[in-house]
Amino acid sequence: MLTGGKSFVSSPPAFSNDAKRLLVCTGNTVSVFSTSTGLQTCELEGHEAQVTSVIVVPATNPASKFLCYCWTASLDGKIMYWDFAAPELMKTIDIRFPIHSMVIPSLLHQRIDSTGKLPDLYAYICTEDAKQEGKPSSFGIQKCNLTKSRLVGGVTLAETQKPGHVTISPSGRYIGTCEKRKLRIWEIPAKDSEHVSYKKIRLHHTRSITTMAFHPNERVVAAGDVTGRILLWRGVGREAFSNTKSSNGRLNKDGEDRPGVRDGDDADSCTTWHWHSSQVNVLFFSSDGAYLYSGGREGVLVVWQLDTGKKKFLPRIGSPLLYFINSPDPTLSSISCADNQIQLLRMPSMEILRSISGIKLPSSHMDMYEGFGSVVVFNPTAGLIAVPAENYRVQFYSLFDDREISQVQICERNHQPGDEITVKVNLVALSRDGSTMCTVETRLPEEGIGGLVTLKFWACGSQKKQISLSTVIYEPHRDAEISCIAFRPTGNMAVSSSYGGDFKVWVRRHELTPKDETVQRSGWTCHAVGSYKKKPMSTAAFSSDGSVLAVAADKVITLWDPDRNTLLAVIGDSLEPITNLTFVGKSEYLVSASASASRGSKDSNPQLTVWSMSKLSATWSYRLDTKAITCSMGDSTFAVLACCKPKGSAEESLQCAEEMILLFNVEKAAPLSVWFVSKAQGGGLSFVSSDEDKVSATKAADEVLAYINGAREYVLLNPHCEQETKLNISRQRGFANLDETDTHGYASVYGALPEFSLKTDQTPFPSMSSGKTWKDIFSGPPHTLGPLRNLCSDFLESLLERRSGVVE
Amino acid sequence: MGSSNIRDVLTSFSPNLDLFAITLGDGRVKIWDTGKGQVQTEFADLASTETKSVFGNQEGGHLSMDYTCMKWFSLEKKKKRKLGSSLLLLGTGGGDVLALDVAAGQLKWRVNNCHPGGVSAVSFPAHGSHIYTVGADGMVCEIEAMSGNLLNKFSAASRAISSLAISPDGRMIATAASQLKIFNSTNHKKLQKFSGHPGAVRCMIFSEDGKYVLSSAVGERYIAVWEIDGSKKKSGSVVLAMDHPAVFLDSKFANTGDADDASLCVFAISEIGVCYFWHGKTIDELRNSKPTKISVASDDEVLQKHKGGIPNVFAGKLQNISMPASGHVFLAHGLLIKPTFEKVLVQPGTDLQLSVSQDGILLPTSKSQKSRKTSHIRNEVTALDRSNIEGALGPVPQMHDLIDGKSEAKPVGVKEKDELDTVTLCMEDQLRSLGILSSTDDALSSTLVSKYLKGINLDASTPQKKVKATVLSLEPNDAFDLLRGLVDVWQSRSHSSKHVLPWISCILVCHSGFIKSKEPKFLDSLYKLANAKAPAMNSLLQLSGRLQLVSAQIDKAVNNKSLVSERDDEHEDESEDDDVDEVVYGVDDDSLSESESDD
Repeated sequence: MLTGGKSFVSSPPAFSNDAKRLLVCTGNTVSVFSTSTGLQTCELEGHEAQVTSVIVVPATNPASKFLCYCWTASLDGKIMYWDFAAPELMKTIDIRFPIHSMVIPSLLHQRIDSTGKLPDLYAYICTEDAKQEGKPSSFGIQKCNLTKSRLVGGVTLAETQKPGHVTISPSGRYIGTCEKRKLRIWEIPAKDSEHVSYKKIRLHHTRSITTMAFHPNERVVAAGDVTGRILLWRGVGREAFSNTKSSNGRLNKDGEDRPGVRDGDDADSCTTWHWHSSQVNVLFFSSDGAYLYSGGREGVLVVWQLDTGKKKFLPRIGSPLLYFINSPDPTLSSISCADNQIQLLRMPSMEILRSISGIKLPSSHMDMYEGFGSVVVFNPTAGLIAVPAENYRVQFYSLFDDREISQVQICERNHQPGDEITVKVNLVALSRDGSTMCTVETRLPEEGIGGLVTLKFWACGSQKKQISLSTVIYEPHRDAEISCIAFRPTGNMAVSSSYGGDFKVWVRRHELTPKDETVQRSGWTCHAVGSYKKKPMSTAAFSSDGSVLAVAADKVITLWDPDRNTLLAVIGDSLEPITNLTFVGKSEYLVSASASASRGSKDSNPQLTVWSMSKLSATWSYRLDTKAITCSMGDSTFAVLACCKPKGSAEESLQCAEEMILLFNVEKAAPLSVWFVSKAQGGGLSFVSSDEDKVSATKAADEVLAYINGAREYVLLNPHCEQETKLNISRQRGFANLDETDTHGYASVYGALPEFSLKTDQTPFPSMSSGKTWKDIFSGPPHTLGPLRNLCSDFLESLLERRSGVVE
Repeated sequence: MGSSNIRDVLTSFSPNLDLFAITLGDGRVKIWDTGKGQVQTEFADLASTETKSVFGNQEGGHLSMDYTCMKWFSLEKKKKRKLGSSLLLLGTGGGDVLALDVAAGQLKWRVNNCHPGGVSAVSFPAHGSHIYTVGADGMVCEIEAMSGNLLNKFSAASRAISSLAISPDGRMIATAASQLKIFNSTNHKKLQKFSGHPGAVRCMIFSEDGKYVLSSAVGERYIAVWEIDGSKKKSGSVVLAMDHPAVFLDSKFANTGDADDASLCVFAISEIGVCYFWHGKTIDELRNSKPTKISVASDDEVLQKHKGGIPNVFAGKLQNISMPASGHVFLAHGLLIKPTFEKVLVQPGTDLQLSVSQDGILLPTSKSQKSRKTSHIRNEVTALDRSNIEGALGPVPQMHDLIDGKSEAKPVGVKEKDELDTVTLCMEDQLRSLGILSSTDDALSSTLVSKYLKGINLDASTPQKKVKATVLSLEPNDAFDLLRGLVDVWQSRSHSSKHVLPWISCILVCHSGFIKSKEPKFLDSLYKLANAKAPAMNSLLQLSGRLQLVSAQIDKAVNNKSLVSERDDEHEDESEDDDVDEVVYGVDDDSLSESESDD
C-alpha cells in the first residue's frame, strides 16, 4: 500500500518560525520540507480528508523561535494541533463540518493579560453546511473556541454560496473575504471573547474579485479581479473602525471628494493598477508595507512600489502563480505554482533558490480542449508513469519513489501560461519495456487552415533518462485524428488507429546510410495499412505474444495477423462503439469495453465484454461504463475502472455515480474484489510489477495494482491481498473513500446493476449432413451457405466415395 | 581531478538508494539525487558556522575540514517510508565525528575530539541505533545515533586502527590494522585474531550471515575471506585476486528458502574504478570462481574531451541477487564531478562495459557535440510526410489473387502472394497427383498454346505496361489466335489464371472491335466460361478463406494445446459465417464481364 502523487498547491503553505521548514498541505497529510535542501523531513498524518489550512503558531519572543507548533484544518471537519518537530499530534477538535479555510487572529496579537493566564483562542473558519439533500450546501464563516474545543454558537459572520478563502491582516486586527464583486472586512476586537460585536464594512467593485490582501500597518486593502486589475483602497474603514466617532469628521468627509471610491464605501481613495492581462491570483504586502507582490495566470511575479507604482518583475516562472508566502526570515519567501511546484525565493533579489516539485497536475487547458491528452500512461515494468503536462512536456514520475525522474519536451515550443493553445498533445504511449515512447500532437487549425497531426516516435537511452526523437511522421492518417497507439509486447512494432477509418502498423528499421556508416538511422516506417469497411477505428491492442492484433472498428472487433496484415476474423456486435480493448495476459481472452461517445445520453448501453479467442464468441458481459481496463501480465486476472450509475435519473447520476475498481478473473463473471474510489474521471489503472526492495509490504505478489485518479493522486495496492491489507487501505486512503469489504462491494454491484447478465452464448449451430454433391454445396449466395464446419465436412464427403452408413 | 585514482574519494549511498553522497577531499559533501541525476544539496562550511559562535577565531572555510570516512546510517524504521530517519556520518582527520541530517540540511550532532589523531572508520549494525567508530588512538567508541552521546569506549589495540566492521546482528565487532581482531560487542572480549595482511586494512565487511569477514589492505591486490569459527588462529580461507587494490567491498548472501540455494556474492571496486563480482554457492566455489568485471569504456577521444578526467566506477551497492548467480548492482560511474547512476544486472562470465555519457559535464547539452565530428554512432531523426505508406502492405483479404491478378488494385507484397498461392494451388496439384485431372491433355494444350504465345512467358507475371505493349504490337489476327490459346489455357489450367487473365483482358480491350466483327460467338462463350467459373470460384474462395482462418487459429493455438484447438476450430466457424464474406473485396469477376459488356 503506497500512496503518492499529492498536490502541494491545494492550499497555501506555511513557514516555521525559524524559516528552516516549510509546511505544505499534501492531501490528507501535512508534509514538512526543509527549506535548505528542499527535501521532505517529516509528515503529519492524522486527518482523514484533504487538509485545507495550516497555521504555524508564531513566535512571540525570540526564545520561542524554536517552538514548532501548528494548527491544521481539514475537510473531515477536524482541527488539529501539532508539534511538527517531533512530529506529534497534541489536540483534536471535531467541528463535524468540512472546513475550507481557517484563520486564528488572536495568535498574532496574543498577549498574556494581567491575570497571567492566556485568553481563549478563537479561530474563524469557513465551513460547509450541507443542510438538505438536493439543495446546494451553503458556506458560512463561523467562530470556534480552540481552547474549549467547541464552536461558538450563534456567530455566523457571513453566508455565501461558494467556499471563500478567509484572509487575515498581518496584525490580526482584520479578517476579510472576497465574494463575487465585493469585499467584506471585519474588525476583530483586541480582546476576543465569545460574545463580542463585530464592526464590518463592505467594499464594492464592478468585477468579480479573486483575491485580497491587507497592508501590515496601514488601513490599506488591495484586491485583484478577474480582468487583471489591482485595486488599492486607502483609509479603509476610517469611519467604521475608528474608535472615536466624531460626527464632525463625518461631515467633513462628505464634503471631500473620494477619488475612485464607490458610493457608500468606507474608504478614502481607491486607485487601480493594471498590468496583469488575466486573473490576479496572488496579492501580498511585504512585511514593511513598502511593496505589494502580485501574480496571476501569466506566471510573472510583479513587485509594486506602493508609493510610486513602479514595477519590478520575476518572469518566466512557467506556470500560473497561486500563493505567495513570506517567511519570518526576511530573505526567504515562497511561491506556489499551478504545476505543483513550490519555488523558494531569495527575497530582495527574487532569485529562485530551489524548488519543491511534485507530480504535474492536470491543467485547466486540458479540460477546455477536447482531446487534450491528460491520461496518465504507465510503464509497468519500471514502475514509471508518463504524465502529460501543460507545457508540452511529459513528466516521468516514479510510482515507488513518489518523485519525478525526468521530463521530455514533446514539441519545440515555448509555453507561456495564459497564452492561447495552438498545439495540443493528444496521446502518449509507452512500449512495454519502456524503450520507446510514441506521442501524437495536433496543431490546431487557425480559421480552418493549418491543422496538422504529427506522430512522433522517441527512443529512450540506456539509462531511461535520455529520450531522443527517432521519427517524425506528419499527417500519419491524412487529416484524421489518431485514436489509439498500441505497442507490440515483443519486437519493434506499433499500431496507430485513426478515426478516419484505417490503422497503420509501424515497424522500426535499422539502416546505415551509405554515405556515413557511423550515422545510424533507426527510423520507424509504415509496415502495413488496414481498414475495415471504412469504419472509424477507435482502439487497438496486441495480444501478449504479439501474434494477433485486435482493432476495434466502430462496433465490431477485427482480428489481424500483424506481420502479414491478414484479416483473420471479425467478432462482436456491441451496441455502442468500442472504446477499449485489452488482451488478458497469457490467456486466450480479450476484454472489450464499449460506451457511447456522447456523455449523458439517456439510452447509452455501455458494455464490458470478455471474448474467448478460441471460440471467437463472447464469454460473459456486464453492463458497465468502463473507463479503463488493465490486465496482469502473469495470470488471467484483469481490473476495470468503472462508473456505474443508478438506474434512471440520468441527470443526477453524474453526481451520485459510483466509481469503483473491479478485479475479475476471466473465467468467472463474479468480481474477485471491489474498491470504491472517487474522482475517477480521467483516471488510469495498471498492473505494475513491484520492486521487492521498495515494496516490502507486498511480499509475495510480484504485481501491484496502480490506480491514479483525475487529480493525479495515486495508490498502489496489492490486488491479491488478504483481509488485513485491505483494512489498511481503507484506513490510509482518504481521497478514495473506501468503504469496502468483499461482500459489501459485491452486493452493491448487484444492487446497482439489475441488468447484470451472464451470457453463456454457446448454442451450437444445427448441423445437418446433406448428401449434396460439391457443386450443389457451393451454389447460392455466400450468406446462405452454412458454417464452415458443415460445408467442410460436406465438401470432403462429396469428394470421397460414399459408403453405406454415416461415419461418425 | 585528473587522476584516475579513487582512493581519496569518499562515497556513500543512502539506505534506499535515492541519494548519493560524495566528497572529494575538499571538505565539501555533495548530495546527488540518483533518480534525476542532479545535485540535490551541498554541505560546505559546516564546521565554521557551527563553531564560530563558540570560538570566534576558529579558522573557517570548507578547506579546513578533512573527512576521512563517510557512511550513511539509517535509523530503525518503524513505519515504511518514514522520513527523516537517515543520517550521514562523517569522521574527520581531526578526530571529530559528525552526523548530518541530510533531509533537513543541518548538522545533527557532533562529537568533538572523539579519536585524537583522526577517525579512521565508522560502522553500525544492520538494525539498531548505535554506531561504532575507531581511530588512530586504538579505541572503539560506541555512540548513540540520535543524540551523539558517547555510550562506551574500549581499547582494541595499542596502535592505530585502520578499519572497522560490525556484524549485521550487532554481536561482533571486527577491527583491523594489519592484524584483524574480532570482539564480542557486549563484553568486549576478543574472540578471534587473524593475521596476514601486510599493511593497514582499508576496507572490511562482514558477510550477511556473519560467518565470514572480508578484508583488503592497502596495496594488496586481493580480498581475503576469513571464516569465523572460534578457533584461535587461522589464516585466510579464501583469497579473491584482483588487478588493483580494492577500495570498496560489499557482499550479499542470497538465500531463497532452502539451504541448498544459498549463495554468497562478493562485490568490490578497485582503485582504478573497476568493479569485480564473485559468486559462489559454497565457500569453495567462491574460491574457484572467476570475477565478472564492470568497467567504463574509455578511449582516447573521451579522455581528450574530459581533459584528463577518466570516467570510472566509483561507487556501487549490491541490491539483490535475483536469479542464482546474478545480481543487481546500483552503480555511480562517470566523472567524479558528474556521476551517472545506473542499475546494472551482473551475470557471471559476461564482463560489462558501461557507456560514457556524451553529455556535457554539467549541463545536458546535446547540441555541443553535433558541431564536433565525432566517430561514434549518432541517431538521426527520420521524418515522414503524408506519403508514408509507400511500400507498406495493404490489407490482405483472403484469396483475392484467384479472382484476377490486377495487382494495382491491391498493392500486395510479392512475398505474400507466393505464400498465398502455395496454399490455394494445392488442391489442383493434389487432384493432378491423384490422377483425377489428366496431365496429358494439359501438356498437349500447352504445346498447342506455345505456338500462339510466341515467347510470352505465362508462368511469370508480366508488368501491365509490357502486356499492353506486346498486345498492341500484335496483328489483330495474331491477337485473336493468342486470345483463343489463352482461353484454352485458362480453361484447362486454373492455376495459371493469375497470369493469363491480364493478357485476356488486355487483348479484349485493345482488339475488341476486331474480335467483335470476326467472331462474336467467341465472346459469348468466353462470357459463359467466366460466368461458369465465377460461382465455383467464389465458394472455393470462401472455403479457402475459412481454411486459412482455421490454420491461423491452429498456428496460434498450437503453442499451448494442440488437442483443444481442433475442437475449438469447429466452434469458431459457427459464429462467424457472414463476416468473413465481407472481407473478400477488391476487384472480382464482374470487372472482367464488364470489360466485355462494354464492347
